[in-house]
Amino acid sequence: MKVEEWEKEDEEFKEMRRSKADWEFINAQPPHIRAALIYFIERGDRYVASRIAGLSLDEFDEIRRRAKIPVVV
Amino acid sequence: MRGVADACFLIDWSRYRRRDLLEKLFNLILIHEETLLQLRSPPAIEYTSSLLASGLLRLYPWSSDDEKQYNKLREEVSLDPRLPSLERPDLLCLVIAHRTGSILLSENLGVLRVTQFHPLYSRVKVWTSLEVLENSVYSGLTDIDSLDEFLEIVREYEEDARHIFNKKRLDTVAKRVSEWLRR
Repeated sequence: MKVEEWEKEDEEFKEMRRSKADWEFINAQPPHIRAALIYFIERGDRYVASRIAGLSLDEFDEIRRRAKIPVVV
Repeated sequence: MRGVADACFLIDWSRYRRRDLLEKLFNLILIHEETLLQLRSPPAIEYTSSLLASGLLRLYPWSSDDEKQYNKLREEVSLDPRLPSLERPDLLCLVIAHRTGSILLSENLGVLRVTQFHPLYSRVKVWTSLEVLENSVYSGLTDIDSLDEFLEIVREYEEDARHIFNKKRLDTVAKRVSEWLRR
């Protein structure tokens, strides 16, 4: 797969995460959790998002689920 | 069949209503100690502990040679702007899968992309949960009579794990399943 195809895929995935997200829930979170969720929407990377949130990978994933942000693969 | 599981795969799969499929499909699944340490939530811990207790899941004995291979891979991919960030636990799983000839169970986009271009790691077979569901059909563990039934199973997984499989990959898998159904 070419880099251009990856970039196109990244944009599609980002839009899917953004459109499914519960923004009311996200905006009600403390700043570091909100930042982590927004990072996840932008990049789809649970590991780095969990580091931003200061949580373990699956503690962050629980919040991701509550924020209704899908993992897109 | 032998696999290597990363943390994201186990976290997601532990939420799935038909998660026992994995135990029937694989004889052995290897896990790195650092992957195990990433798991904290009750569903993931309980599920992983039950797999360890049953003997299906086993800690991989990491060696200094493995560490050398990891360092080489890290140097090759960590600064590659084409790839999403790849952290140590993701790469450890890729190294184990390569060294043991196992299927890598992963939901990590960066790992999938490494295997699309890297001369050495393109030999590693990576399955997301979608390919696990697909192969459960071929092995007779999931009984379906139509493609719609398979897509319903995929939809259940997406609902339980809060996942979306991208259309291109889903279409590719659906085509293979349709061909299998016609045999």
